[in-house]
Amino acid sequence: MSAALGQSVSLGRGTPANASAPAKVSVRDFDFYYGDFRALKSINMEFRERHVTALIGPSGCGKSTLLRCFNRIYSLYPEQRATGEIMLDGRNIIDPSVDVNELRSRVGMVFQKPTPFPMSIYDNVAFGMRLYERLSRADTDVRVEHALRKAALWDEVKDKLKNPGTGLSGGQQQRLCIARTVAQNPEVILFDEPTSALDPISTGKIEELLEQLRSEFTIAIVTHNMQQAARISQYTAFMYLGELVEFAPTDDIFMNPREKRTHDYVTGRFG
Amino acid sequence: MSDHIVKSFDSDLESLRSAIAEMGGIAEKQLGDAVTALVRRDAVLAQGVIKADLRLDALQREIEERAILTIARRQPLAIDLREIVSAIRISGDLERIGDMSKNCGKRVLAIADGFQAQKIVIGVQSISDLVMGQLKDVLDAYAGHDLDKAMDVWHRDEAIDALYTSLFRELLTYMMEDPRNISFCAHLLFVAKNVERIGDHTTNIAETIHYLVTGRALDTERPKDDRTTAPTIAA
Repeated sequence: MSAALGQSVSLGRGTPANASAPAKVSVRDFDFYYGDFRALKSINMEFRERHVTALIGPSGCGKSTLLRCFNRIYSLYPEQRATGEIMLDGRNIIDPSVDVNELRSRVGMVFQKPTPFPMSIYDNVAFGMRLYERLSRADTDVRVEHALRKAALWDEVKDKLKNPGTGLSGGQQQRLCIARTVAQNPEVILFDEPTSALDPISTGKIEELLEQLRSEFTIAIVTHNMQQAARISQYTAFMYLGELVEFAPTDDIFMNPREKRTHDYVTGRFG
Repeated sequence: MSDHIVKSFDSDLESLRSAIAEMGGIAEKQLGDAVTALVRRDAVLAQGVIKADLRLDALQREIEERAILTIARRQPLAIDLREIVSAIRISGDLERIGDMSKNCGKRVLAIADGFQAQKIVIGVQSISDLVMGQLKDVLDAYAGHDLDKAMDVWHRDEAIDALYTSLFRELLTYMMEDPRNISFCAHLLFVAKNVERIGDHTTNIAETIHYLVTGRALDTERPKDDRTTAPTIAA
Protein backbone atom coordinates (compact mmCIF):
# COMPACT_ATOMS: atom_id res chain seq x y z
CA MET A 1 0.00 0.00 0.00
CA SER A 2 1.68 3.21 -1.07
CA ALA A 3 0.33 6.67 -0.44
CA ALA A 4 -0.70 8.66 -3.50
CA LEU A 5 0.49 12.24 -3.80
CA GLY A 6 -1.56 14.55 -1.64
CA GLN A 7 -2.15 11.92 1.03
CA SER A 8 -0.25 12.18 4.27
CA VAL A 9 2.92 10.13 4.33
CA SER A 10 4.67 8.41 7.18
CA LEU A 11 7.84 6.40 7.66
CA GLY A 12 6.33 3.00 8.28
CA ARG A 13 4.14 0.88 6.05
CA GLY A 14 0.40 0.55 6.28
CA THR A 15 -1.97 2.87 8.06
CA PRO A 16 -0.18 5.43 10.24
CA ALA A 17 -0.46 5.88 14.00
CA ASN A 18 -3.98 6.55 15.15
CA ALA A 19 -3.93 8.30 18.52
CA SER A 20 -7.61 7.54 19.09
CA ALA A 21 -7.15 3.76 18.86
CA PRO A 22 -7.93 2.21 22.25
CA ALA A 23 -5.03 1.24 24.51
CA LYS A 24 -4.78 -2.54 24.68
CA VAL A 25 -2.05 -2.49 27.30
CA SER A 26 -1.44 0.43 29.67
CA VAL A 27 1.66 0.58 31.81
CA ARG A 28 1.26 2.81 34.88
CA ASP A 29 3.96 3.87 37.34
CA PHE A 30 5.64 0.58 36.70
CA ASP A 31 8.88 -0.36 38.49
CA PHE A 32 10.77 -3.60 38.20
CA TYR A 33 13.59 -4.89 40.39
CA TYR A 34 16.08 -7.70 39.98
CA GLY A 35 17.01 -8.08 43.65
CA ASP A 36 18.07 -4.58 44.68
CA PHE A 37 18.63 -3.42 41.13
CA ARG A 38 15.87 -1.18 39.84
CA ALA A 39 15.70 -2.21 36.19
CA LEU A 40 12.61 -0.20 35.26
CA LYS A 41 11.82 3.21 36.70
CA SER A 42 8.29 4.62 36.76
CA ILE A 43 7.30 3.54 33.26
CA ASN A 44 4.08 5.03 31.90
CA MET A 45 2.95 4.22 28.38
CA GLU A 46 0.20 2.70 26.25
CA PHE A 47 0.27 0.03 23.60
CA ARG A 48 -2.52 0.79 21.18
CA GLU A 49 -4.75 -1.89 19.79
CA ARG A 50 -3.73 -3.15 16.36
CA HIS A 51 -0.62 -1.05 16.30
CA VAL A 52 3.02 -2.06 16.29
CA THR A 53 4.92 -0.41 19.12
CA ALA A 54 8.70 -0.65 18.98
CA LEU A 55 10.96 -0.52 22.03
CA ILE A 56 14.45 0.72 21.27
CA GLY A 57 17.48 1.58 23.35
CA PRO A 58 21.01 0.41 24.08
CA SER A 59 21.69 -2.96 25.69
CA GLY A 60 20.64 -3.05 29.33
CA CYS A 61 18.16 -0.19 29.02
CA GLY A 62 15.26 -2.36 30.20
CA LYS A 63 13.36 -2.80 26.95
CA SER A 64 13.43 -6.61 27.06
CA THR A 65 12.63 -6.55 30.77
CA LEU A 66 9.55 -4.44 30.06
CA LEU A 67 8.48 -6.77 27.25
CA ARG A 68 8.85 -9.76 29.55
CA CYS A 69 6.54 -8.20 32.11
CA PHE A 70 3.61 -8.32 29.69
CA ASN A 71 3.34 -12.10 29.98
CA ARG A 72 5.07 -12.30 33.38
CA ILE A 73 7.76 -14.48 31.97
CA TYR A 74 10.03 -12.67 34.42
CA SER A 75 8.56 -14.83 37.17
CA LEU A 76 11.03 -17.46 35.97
CA TYR A 77 13.86 -15.34 37.38
CA PRO A 78 14.66 -15.41 41.09
CA GLU A 79 14.33 -12.39 43.39
CA GLN A 80 12.42 -10.24 40.97
CA ARG A 81 9.75 -7.82 42.03
CA ALA A 82 7.32 -5.59 40.16
CA THR A 83 5.32 -2.63 41.43
CA GLY A 84 2.78 -0.49 39.64
CA GLU A 85 0.29 -1.67 37.05
CA ILE A 86 0.20 -3.25 33.64
CA MET A 87 -3.41 -3.14 32.55
CA LEU A 88 -4.49 -5.57 29.84
CA ASP A 89 -8.04 -4.64 28.84
CA GLY A 90 -8.51 -2.95 32.19
CA ARG A 91 -7.13 -5.76 34.39
CA ASN A 92 -3.80 -5.49 36.19
CA ILE A 93 -1.85 -8.52 35.01
CA ILE A 94 0.82 -8.04 37.66
CA ASP A 95 -1.73 -9.01 40.27
CA PRO A 96 -0.88 -12.54 41.52
CA SER A 97 -4.52 -13.53 41.20
CA VAL A 98 -4.20 -13.38 37.42
CA ASP A 99 -3.56 -16.90 36.15
CA VAL A 100 -0.22 -16.88 34.39
CA ASN A 101 -1.14 -19.67 31.96
CA GLU A 102 -4.26 -17.87 30.86
CA LEU A 103 -2.26 -14.66 30.55
CA ARG A 104 0.31 -16.33 28.32
CA SER A 105 -2.37 -17.70 26.04
CA ARG A 106 -3.56 -14.11 25.56
CA VAL A 107 -0.09 -12.62 25.27
CA GLY A 108 2.13 -14.66 22.96
CA MET A 109 5.86 -14.25 22.61
CA VAL A 110 8.47 -14.81 19.91
CA PHE A 111 12.13 -14.79 20.85
CA GLN A 112 15.37 -13.77 19.21
CA LYS A 113 16.50 -17.31 18.45
CA PRO A 114 13.90 -19.55 16.86
CA THR A 115 12.77 -22.10 19.44
CA PRO A 116 11.11 -24.97 17.58
CA PHE A 117 10.28 -27.95 19.78
CA PRO A 118 11.91 -31.28 18.87
CA MET A 119 8.81 -32.54 17.13
CA SER A 120 7.13 -32.31 13.72
CA ILE A 121 6.16 -29.04 12.10
CA TYR A 122 2.51 -29.96 12.59
CA ASP A 123 2.94 -30.79 16.29
CA ASN A 124 4.94 -27.62 16.89
CA VAL A 125 1.94 -25.56 15.82
CA ALA A 126 -0.66 -27.81 17.48
CA PHE A 127 1.30 -27.99 20.76
CA GLY A 128 0.06 -24.78 22.32
CA MET A 129 -3.57 -25.13 21.41
CA ARG A 130 -3.65 -28.73 22.68
CA LEU A 131 -2.59 -27.40 26.08
CA TYR A 132 -5.65 -25.22 26.40
CA GLU A 133 -8.29 -26.79 24.23
CA ARG A 134 -9.62 -30.23 23.36
CA LEU A 135 -9.87 -30.27 19.61
CA SER A 136 -10.84 -32.96 17.14
CA ARG A 137 -8.24 -34.04 14.60
CA ALA A 138 -10.12 -32.23 11.83
CA ASP A 139 -10.39 -29.01 13.85
CA THR A 140 -6.72 -29.21 14.71
CA ASP A 141 -5.86 -29.62 11.01
CA VAL A 142 -7.83 -26.50 10.17
CA ARG A 143 -6.24 -24.48 12.97
CA VAL A 144 -2.71 -25.62 12.07
CA GLU A 145 -3.19 -24.69 8.42
CA HIS A 146 -4.71 -21.34 9.38
CA ALA A 147 -1.81 -20.53 11.70
CA LEU A 148 0.80 -21.58 9.15
CA ARG A 149 -0.90 -19.43 6.52
CA LYS A 150 -0.99 -16.48 8.91
CA ALA A 151 2.72 -16.95 9.48
CA ALA A 152 3.32 -17.04 5.70
CA LEU A 153 4.84 -20.51 5.99
CA TRP A 154 2.09 -22.78 4.69
CA ASP A 155 3.19 -22.90 1.06
CA GLU A 156 6.71 -23.88 2.07
CA VAL A 157 5.79 -26.68 4.49
CA LYS A 158 2.37 -28.02 3.45
CA ASP A 159 3.93 -31.14 1.89
CA LYS A 160 6.19 -31.94 4.83
CA LEU A 161 4.14 -31.31 7.94
CA LYS A 162 5.44 -34.54 9.49
CA ASN A 163 9.08 -33.47 9.12
CA PRO A 164 10.85 -32.21 12.23
CA GLY A 165 10.54 -28.46 12.85
CA THR A 166 14.25 -28.31 13.56
CA GLY A 167 14.96 -29.26 9.93
CA LEU A 168 13.69 -25.92 8.64
CA SER A 169 15.92 -22.94 7.88
CA GLY A 170 16.36 -20.27 10.56
CA GLY A 171 13.88 -17.92 8.94
CA GLN A 172 11.34 -20.72 8.48
CA GLN A 173 11.84 -21.81 12.11
CA GLN A 174 11.10 -18.27 13.25
CA ARG A 175 7.92 -18.19 11.20
CA LEU A 176 7.05 -21.61 12.67
CA CYS A 177 7.35 -20.06 16.13
CA ILE A 178 5.09 -17.21 15.01
CA ALA A 179 2.59 -19.80 13.71
CA ARG A 180 2.74 -21.57 17.08
CA THR A 181 1.98 -18.29 18.84
CA VAL A 182 -0.78 -17.29 16.40
CA ALA A 183 -2.42 -20.74 16.70
CA GLN A 184 -3.47 -19.92 20.25
CA ASN A 185 -5.44 -16.87 19.13
CA PRO A 186 -3.61 -14.44 21.38
CA GLU A 187 -4.54 -10.76 21.58
CA VAL A 188 -1.07 -9.38 22.03
CA ILE A 189 2.16 -10.70 20.50
CA LEU A 190 5.55 -9.78 21.94
CA PHE A 191 8.58 -9.97 19.69
CA ASP A 192 11.98 -9.89 21.34
CA GLU A 193 14.46 -9.08 18.56
CA PRO A 194 12.76 -11.56 16.22
CA THR A 195 15.07 -10.98 13.26
CA SER A 196 18.47 -10.36 14.79
CA ALA A 197 19.53 -13.96 14.11
CA LEU A 198 18.14 -14.00 10.57
CA ASP A 199 19.46 -13.22 7.09
CA PRO A 200 18.06 -10.17 5.22
CA ILE A 201 15.59 -12.18 3.10
CA SER A 202 14.11 -13.92 6.13
CA THR A 203 14.10 -10.58 7.96
CA GLY A 204 12.14 -9.05 5.09
CA LYS A 205 9.57 -11.86 5.26
CA ILE A 206 9.10 -11.41 9.00
CA GLU A 207 8.68 -7.64 8.58
CA GLU A 208 6.13 -8.24 5.85
CA LEU A 209 4.35 -10.64 8.17
CA LEU A 210 4.27 -8.16 11.05
CA GLU A 211 2.34 -5.71 8.92
CA GLN A 212 -0.28 -8.39 8.19
CA LEU A 213 -0.46 -9.58 11.80
CA ARG A 214 -1.10 -6.02 12.88
CA SER A 215 -4.62 -6.15 11.41
CA GLU A 216 -5.55 -8.68 14.11
CA PHE A 217 -3.11 -8.34 16.98
CA THR A 218 -1.53 -5.72 19.16
CA ILE A 219 2.21 -6.02 18.68
CA ALA A 220 5.15 -4.97 20.83
CA ILE A 221 8.62 -5.48 19.44
CA VAL A 222 12.09 -5.01 20.83
CA THR A 223 14.62 -4.33 18.10
CA HIS A 224 18.18 -3.13 17.86
CA ASN A 225 17.71 -2.23 14.23
CA MET A 226 16.44 1.33 14.13
CA GLN A 227 15.63 1.28 10.44
CA GLN A 228 13.50 -1.78 11.14
CA ALA A 229 11.67 0.02 13.95
CA ALA A 230 11.11 2.95 11.58
CA ARG A 231 9.72 0.67 8.86
CA ILE A 232 7.38 -1.52 10.87
CA SER A 233 6.10 0.41 13.88
CA GLN A 234 3.59 3.21 14.36
CA TYR A 235 4.76 4.10 17.87
CA THR A 236 8.28 3.97 19.26
CA ALA A 237 9.55 4.13 22.80
CA PHE A 238 13.17 5.02 23.47
CA MET A 239 14.45 3.67 26.78
CA TYR A 240 17.69 4.36 28.57
CA LEU A 241 18.97 3.07 31.92
CA GLY A 242 15.55 1.78 32.91
CA GLU A 243 13.75 5.00 32.05
CA LEU A 244 11.29 5.73 29.29
CA VAL A 245 13.01 8.74 27.74
CA GLU A 246 10.62 9.43 24.87
CA PHE A 247 7.48 7.75 23.61
CA ALA A 248 5.89 9.15 20.47
CA PRO A 249 4.67 8.31 16.98
CA THR A 250 7.50 6.58 15.11
CA ASP A 251 7.84 9.44 12.61
CA ASP A 252 8.59 11.88 15.42
CA ILE A 253 11.15 9.63 17.09
CA PHE A 254 13.14 9.02 13.93
CA MET A 255 12.69 12.30 12.05
CA ASN A 256 12.36 14.90 14.77
CA PRO A 257 12.88 13.60 18.29
CA ARG A 258 12.26 16.03 21.15
CA GLU A 259 14.77 14.67 23.64
CA LYS A 260 18.49 15.09 23.07
CA ARG A 261 19.21 11.55 24.29
CA THR A 262 16.75 10.12 21.75
CA HIS A 263 18.29 12.25 19.07
CA ASP A 264 21.82 11.15 19.93
CA TYR A 265 20.77 7.51 19.99
CA VAL A 266 18.86 7.39 16.70
CA THR A 267 21.61 9.25 14.87
CA GLY A 268 24.38 7.05 16.24
CA ARG A 269 25.98 9.67 18.47
CA PHE A 270 25.46 7.95 21.77
CA GLY A 271 28.23 7.97 24.31
CA MET B 1 26.53 18.59 17.96
CA SER B 2 28.42 15.66 19.42
CA ASP B 3 30.26 13.28 17.12
CA HIS B 4 29.02 10.03 15.66
CA ILE B 5 30.34 6.79 17.07
CA VAL B 6 31.31 5.96 13.49
CA LYS B 7 33.85 8.71 12.82
CA SER B 8 33.76 8.36 9.04
CA PHE B 9 30.07 9.38 9.14
CA ASP B 10 31.19 12.75 10.54
CA SER B 11 33.67 13.18 7.74
CA ASP B 12 31.00 12.24 5.14
CA LEU B 13 28.79 15.05 6.45
CA GLU B 14 31.71 17.43 6.84
CA SER B 15 32.71 16.95 3.22
CA LEU B 16 29.16 17.80 2.13
CA ARG B 17 29.19 20.97 4.24
CA SER B 18 32.53 22.09 2.94
CA ALA B 19 31.51 21.44 -0.68
CA ILE B 20 28.41 23.62 -0.10
CA ALA B 21 30.65 26.30 1.41
CA GLU B 22 32.85 26.19 -1.67
CA MET B 23 29.82 26.43 -3.97
CA GLY B 24 28.53 29.36 -1.92
CA GLY B 25 31.85 31.18 -2.25
CA ILE B 26 31.91 30.69 -6.02
CA ALA B 27 28.27 31.75 -6.40
CA GLU B 28 28.86 34.92 -4.38
CA LYS B 29 31.92 35.84 -6.43
CA GLN B 30 30.10 35.09 -9.70
CA LEU B 31 27.23 37.43 -8.87
CA GLY B 32 29.57 40.17 -7.64
CA ASP B 33 31.75 39.89 -10.75
CA ALA B 34 28.76 39.79 -13.11
CA VAL B 35 27.47 43.10 -11.78
CA THR B 36 30.92 44.70 -11.69
CA ALA B 37 31.39 43.57 -15.30
CA LEU B 38 28.07 45.21 -16.16
CA VAL B 39 28.91 48.49 -14.44
CA ARG B 40 32.34 48.64 -16.10
CA ARG B 41 31.35 46.91 -19.37
CA ASP B 42 34.27 44.58 -18.64
CA ALA B 43 34.15 41.74 -21.18
CA VAL B 44 37.09 39.88 -19.65
CA LEU B 45 35.47 39.79 -16.22
CA ALA B 46 32.18 38.69 -17.82
CA GLN B 47 34.00 35.80 -19.53
CA GLY B 48 35.39 34.79 -16.13
CA VAL B 49 31.86 34.68 -14.69
CA ILE B 50 30.75 32.38 -17.51
CA LYS B 51 33.73 30.07 -17.00
CA ALA B 52 33.31 29.86 -13.21
CA ASP B 53 29.96 28.18 -13.72
CA LEU B 54 31.67 24.95 -14.82
CA ARG B 55 33.18 24.45 -11.38
CA LEU B 56 29.82 25.15 -9.75
CA ASP B 57 28.11 22.53 -11.90
CA ALA B 58 30.83 19.98 -11.14
CA LEU B 59 30.51 20.62 -7.41
CA GLN B 60 26.76 20.20 -7.53
CA ARG B 61 27.10 16.80 -9.22
CA GLU B 62 29.69 15.80 -6.68
CA ILE B 63 27.49 16.81 -3.73
CA GLU B 64 24.59 14.88 -5.19
CA GLU B 65 26.69 11.75 -5.65
CA ARG B 66 28.18 11.97 -2.18
CA ALA B 67 24.79 12.59 -0.62
CA ILE B 68 23.27 9.56 -2.33
CA LEU B 69 26.21 7.37 -1.31
CA THR B 70 25.98 8.59 2.27
CA ILE B 71 22.28 7.74 2.42
CA ALA B 72 22.98 4.29 0.98
CA ARG B 73 25.90 3.68 3.33
CA ARG B 74 24.60 5.07 6.63
CA GLN B 75 20.78 5.04 6.45
CA PRO B 76 20.79 8.40 8.26
CA LEU B 77 17.94 9.51 10.52
CA ALA B 78 16.70 12.76 12.09
CA ILE B 79 19.17 15.68 11.79
CA ASP B 80 21.63 13.61 9.73
CA LEU B 81 19.02 12.82 7.11
CA ARG B 82 17.88 16.45 7.05
CA GLU B 83 21.48 17.58 6.72
CA ILE B 84 21.95 15.42 3.63
CA VAL B 85 18.61 16.35 2.04
CA SER B 86 19.41 20.02 2.72
CA ALA B 87 22.80 19.69 1.05
CA ILE B 88 21.13 18.30 -2.08
CA ARG B 89 18.56 21.11 -2.14
CA ILE B 90 20.96 23.95 -1.38
CA SER B 91 23.48 22.76 -3.95
CA GLY B 92 20.61 22.82 -6.48
CA ASP B 93 19.77 26.41 -5.57
CA LEU B 94 23.41 27.48 -5.73
CA GLU B 95 23.79 25.82 -9.11
CA ARG B 96 20.79 27.78 -10.41
CA ILE B 97 22.23 30.97 -8.91
CA GLY B 98 25.40 30.26 -10.90
CA ASP B 99 23.38 29.77 -14.08
CA MET B 100 21.71 33.13 -13.60
CA SER B 101 24.98 34.92 -12.95
CA LYS B 102 26.36 33.25 -16.05
CA ASN B 103 23.41 34.54 -18.03
CA CYS B 104 24.12 38.04 -16.69
CA GLY B 105 27.72 37.62 -17.90
CA LYS B 106 26.53 36.68 -21.38
CA ARG B 107 24.27 39.72 -21.54
CA VAL B 108 27.14 41.99 -20.48
CA LEU B 109 29.04 40.68 -23.53
CA ALA B 110 26.00 41.35 -25.73
CA ILE B 111 25.61 44.99 -24.66
CA ALA B 112 29.29 45.84 -24.27
CA ASP B 113 29.21 48.43 -27.10
CA GLY B 114 25.65 49.64 -26.70
CA PHE B 115 23.84 52.53 -25.18
CA GLN B 116 25.47 53.94 -22.04
CA ALA B 117 22.71 54.78 -19.56
CA GLN B 118 24.76 54.44 -16.42
CA LYS B 119 21.87 55.57 -14.24
CA ILE B 120 19.80 52.45 -14.88
CA VAL B 121 22.88 50.26 -14.68
CA ILE B 122 23.30 51.63 -11.17
CA GLY B 123 19.67 50.64 -10.50
CA VAL B 124 20.57 47.02 -11.34
CA GLN B 125 23.61 47.33 -9.11
CA SER B 126 21.55 48.40 -6.13
CA ILE B 127 19.24 45.39 -6.50
CA SER B 128 22.29 43.21 -6.75
CA ASP B 129 23.80 44.75 -3.60
CA LEU B 130 20.70 43.69 -1.69
CA VAL B 131 20.79 40.22 -3.23
CA MET B 132 24.50 39.87 -2.45
CA GLY B 133 23.73 40.68 1.18
CA GLN B 134 20.96 38.07 1.20
CA LEU B 135 23.21 35.44 -0.35
CA LYS B 136 26.01 36.08 2.10
CA ASP B 137 23.66 36.02 5.10
CA VAL B 138 21.87 32.87 4.03
CA LEU B 139 25.19 31.07 3.54
CA ASP B 140 26.28 32.20 7.01
CA ALA B 141 22.94 31.03 8.40
CA TYR B 142 23.52 27.61 6.79
CA ALA B 143 27.05 27.33 8.15
CA GLY B 144 25.89 28.23 11.67
CA HIS B 145 22.47 26.47 11.54
CA ASP B 146 21.14 29.93 12.45
CA LEU B 147 17.35 29.88 12.09
CA ASP B 148 16.83 33.57 13.00
CA LYS B 149 19.27 34.74 10.39
CA ALA B 150 17.67 32.48 7.75
CA MET B 151 14.21 33.83 8.57
CA ASP B 152 15.54 37.37 8.36
CA VAL B 153 16.69 36.68 4.78
CA TRP B 154 13.33 35.13 4.00
CA HIS B 155 11.49 38.27 5.07
CA ARG B 156 13.91 40.71 3.49
CA ASP B 157 13.31 39.45 -0.04
CA GLU B 158 10.23 41.66 -0.24
CA ALA B 159 12.46 44.74 -0.56
CA ILE B 160 14.19 43.21 -3.59
CA ASP B 161 10.87 42.55 -5.26
CA ALA B 162 9.83 46.16 -4.68
CA LEU B 163 13.07 47.52 -6.13
CA TYR B 164 12.76 45.23 -9.14
CA THR B 165 9.24 46.54 -9.79
CA SER B 166 10.41 50.15 -9.83
CA LEU B 167 13.39 49.33 -12.06
CA PHE B 168 11.07 47.51 -14.45
CA ARG B 169 8.96 50.68 -14.81
CA GLU B 170 12.02 52.82 -15.32
CA LEU B 171 13.28 50.58 -18.11
CA LEU B 172 9.87 50.68 -19.80
CA THR B 173 10.05 54.50 -19.78
CA TYR B 174 13.49 54.45 -21.43
CA MET B 175 12.25 52.09 -24.11
CA MET B 176 9.22 54.26 -24.83
CA GLU B 177 11.37 57.40 -25.01
CA ASP B 178 13.62 56.06 -27.74
CA PRO B 179 13.21 52.74 -29.57
CA ARG B 180 17.02 52.58 -30.04
CA ASN B 181 17.25 51.86 -26.30
CA ILE B 182 15.06 48.77 -26.57
CA SER B 183 17.76 46.18 -27.21
CA PHE B 184 19.98 47.45 -24.40
CA CYS B 185 17.09 47.88 -21.98
CA ALA B 186 15.73 44.41 -22.77
CA HIS B 187 19.10 42.90 -21.88
CA LEU B 188 19.23 44.95 -18.69
CA LEU B 189 15.73 43.83 -17.84
CA PHE B 190 16.86 40.22 -18.10
CA VAL B 191 19.91 40.95 -15.97
CA ALA B 192 17.67 42.54 -13.34
CA LYS B 193 15.26 39.61 -13.54
CA ASN B 194 18.15 37.16 -13.11
CA VAL B 195 19.36 39.02 -10.05
CA GLU B 196 15.85 39.11 -8.62
CA ARG B 197 15.53 35.36 -9.24
CA ILE B 198 18.80 34.84 -7.37
CA GLY B 199 17.10 36.57 -4.46
CA ASP B 200 14.28 34.04 -4.70
CA HIS B 201 16.79 31.20 -4.51
CA THR B 202 18.25 32.71 -1.33
CA THR B 203 14.77 32.46 0.19
CA ASN B 204 14.57 28.82 -0.98
CA ILE B 205 17.80 28.22 0.89
CA ALA B 206 16.36 30.00 3.93
CA GLU B 207 13.36 27.64 3.77
CA THR B 208 15.69 24.67 3.58
CA ILE B 209 17.55 25.94 6.65
CA HIS B 210 14.22 26.16 8.45
CA TYR B 211 13.60 22.50 7.62
CA LEU B 212 17.15 21.56 8.56
CA VAL B 213 17.00 23.19 11.98
CA THR B 214 13.39 22.56 13.01
CA GLY B 215 12.51 19.38 11.11
CA ARG B 216 9.39 21.03 9.74
CA ALA B 217 8.68 22.60 6.38
CA LEU B 218 7.99 26.33 6.37
CA ASP B 219 4.46 26.34 5.03
CA THR B 220 3.37 29.98 5.06
CA GLU B 221 3.33 32.05 1.90
CA ARG B 222 6.24 34.43 1.62
CA PRO B 223 5.36 38.18 1.35
CA LYS B 224 5.94 39.26 -2.25
CA ASP B 225 6.13 42.72 -3.76
CA ASP B 226 6.85 41.96 -7.39
CA ARG B 227 4.07 43.81 -9.25
CA THR B 228 5.59 43.54 -12.72
CA THR B 229 3.17 40.77 -13.64
CA ALA B 230 0.23 43.13 -12.99
CA PRO B 231 -1.14 44.70 -16.22
CA THR B 232 0.83 47.96 -16.00
CA ILE B 233 2.13 47.79 -19.56
CA ALA B 234 -1.21 48.81 -21.01
CA ALA B 235 -1.06 52.09 -19.11
